[in-house]
Amino acid sequence: MAEVTLDTSSDVDRRKEHRFLVSEAVARLALRTAGSYLSLDREDRPYQWSTTTYLDTPDWRIFRGCEGSGAVQLRIREYHRTRPNEILAADSVFLEMKDDSAHTSFKERYSVPTLDVPAYLKGQRKFPDDPAGLSGRANEMIDRAARPIVVTQYNRIAYSAPDLSVRITADHNLMYLAIPWISHDDPMPRRLGPVIAREPAVVIEVKWHEELPHWADELYSYIRGHMVNERPSKFVVAMRHLLGEEQKDDVGD
Amino acid sequence: MSVTDGTQSASPGRPPTNVVVVEDDPASADVLQRRLQANGMRVSVGRDGAEGLALVRQIVPDLVLLDVMLPDTDGYDVCLRIKSDGGTAHIPVIFLSARGEVVDKVRGLSCGAADYITKPWNAAELLARIDAVLAQSRNARAPRLERPVTRPTRGRPLVAIALADEQRRAKAEGLLTADFEIANEGSGPVDIVLADPNAVIDPALTDGSTAVLVVSLGEAPSSGDAAPLNADLARVAKLLVREQRVERDMNAAADALIAVATALESHDRFMMGHSERVASRAVRIAQVLGLDSSAVDTVRLGALLRDIGNAKLPPSIVHKAGELRPNEREALERHPVLGEEILKTVSPLAPILPIVRWHHERLDGTGYPDGLAADRIPLEVRIVSVADRFEALLVDRPDRAAVSEAEAVRILQTSVSKGELDPAVVVALAAGARTTPTQEGN
Repeated sequence: MAEVTLDTSSDVDRRKEHRFLVSEAVARLALRTAGSYLSLDREDRPYQWSTTTYLDTPDWRIFRGCEGSGAVQLRIREYHRTRPNEILAADSVFLEMKDDSAHTSFKERYSVPTLDVPAYLKGQRKFPDDPAGLSGRANEMIDRAARPIVVTQYNRIAYSAPDLSVRITADHNLMYLAIPWISHDDPMPRRLGPVIAREPAVVIEVKWHEELPHWADELYSYIRGHMVNERPSKFVVAMRHLLGEEQKDDVGD
Repeated sequence: MSVTDGTQSASPGRPPTNVVVVEDDPASADVLQRRLQANGMRVSVGRDGAEGLALVRQIVPDLVLLDVMLPDTDGYDVCLRIKSDGGTAHIPVIFLSARGEVVDKVRGLSCGAADYITKPWNAAELLARIDAVLAQSRNARAPRLERPVTRPTRGRPLVAIALADEQRRAKAEGLLTADFEIANEGSGPVDIVLADPNAVIDPALTDGSTAVLVVSLGEAPSSGDAAPLNADLARVAKLLVREQRVERDMNAAADALIAVATALESHDRFMMGHSERVASRAVRIAQVLGLDSSAVDTVRLGALLRDIGNAKLPPSIVHKAGELRPNEREALERHPVLGEEILKTVSPLAPILPIVRWHHERLDGTGYPDGLAADRIPLEVRIVSVADRFEALLVDRPDRAAVSEAEAVRILQTSVSKGELDPAVVVALAAGARTTPTQEGN
């Protein structure tokens, strides 16, 4: 198997990250503004579906950690032109580790052939050592039988500065889906389970290193002033829905 | 919500096309409904997204026509929900919308719609597009799971000789007449059909247990389900029919075992009909999760027979109303192993043995009899476990009262939090529970 290397979109240091739930109108205005200063991200085109599969242990160690003092999220991200009804359906996927605290985050990700994913899930392959120490924590969760447990799918529009100092994203059609527990012998790809919940509005994420430029600072204030509410990470929201720990008032059925 | 029938003008002998229209504007819905009915379709109209989704789940139509702008949600949301449910994902969706920008069409199609038509629509174009989408959908769709039609066993098996050439037909009849009864035209399903290579078999001649024997054109030796038109034909045909009958007998044996399991439950007024309910619930969960028809059948049979091991235990323990003593509990917890022992002698039931043995296992390894961890418990087993626990909560027991479906889901979610049950299976159960007839009737 080929050696795995860090993807260029991995963070070089910790960055600030805020998430807001906003109306479609506010999102359109925010994106129009962002588009005047930043360029459209190559990987997150409108109407491309991002599918992110989150892992957790049978005792929900990662989720409980994320709700408390912090934990390393383990996730598998893949991109498709049309919405897949399976996970691990692309030729290659990104294995991501993300340390997500209240307002800052640090992410590393590796592009791996999808066929190698089972070896990672079984602990036969380890995440490479990294200076931030995320891989050690990720490998520990794999040893504790972390498996895919919940999935998000959405259309993301992303604008980024060339040096990645600022990134503004808007997620439409965001859905949280369950995925049946994957045993050692299950084949890939794996069919998605039912929709647990769907965000009725748009999730905007603003991520930056150091200081926001003036225009972005004004935009940030505008979004804060017009948001529906602030959001925890998608993983936390999805897990709360999955475990029945959040009112499902946004599920229409 | 309204349902109207236009089947009087449908083609005779062909089932009508069921269409669900989700449209909030009564005038638009009415025009569309009349146009579709005039073309032999059965039309149901939902006035908003929730009503439309309920109709789709209840009817499982052949097609959904969906407006984008709805009072309670948008059409994209409805389309995504249809496409995310294993029980409805196969249904083609066509958007009908006044929004005609490219961006709207791309968004609609990326949500899984088969087509996007802008208003005002032209009737001829609309019907042509509907026909095209339906034709594609029918070709792509796997056959539905159907229980084989039970056919009386005759003294001599019934054969239909569907060979095109008259001389070959006459020769085959001569070769088979001693051992087979030759079917007349329009006889319905037969035991075996003789067909030319690559021929299309008339579906009226077959059911779930009909064998098909290809009669080769040359003198190639017999192989599997093909034979030359010579003296060997009758031997191969008899062999094929016997194989089919053995399979039918095995199904009958399984039915007999189910009858035994049901009879055991009938001694306990709290458990009467429980297995049927568990099986029905487990099948619905499996369908929501998108399992194929073979796996769904395994789930159904496994759910029906999962407690057959109770037949080997003293009724005083199985039906005890009060709290069990430790030795009694230990005995009762042997029923999965005893059930496996009973069934493993019936080889066609091998696929359900994991369900019978492991339906009391838990993901966190605290179940019995083997204390399996999550990685080793197959999905079919996890489905039956959830259905079993859910249905048990819905009936009165000596030690507690029945709870509502919503409360039962909440109780199971607590078990999910503890790591006992597969969360995705409980989510699928909740999705299925929301559309059960009893709830809709409330």
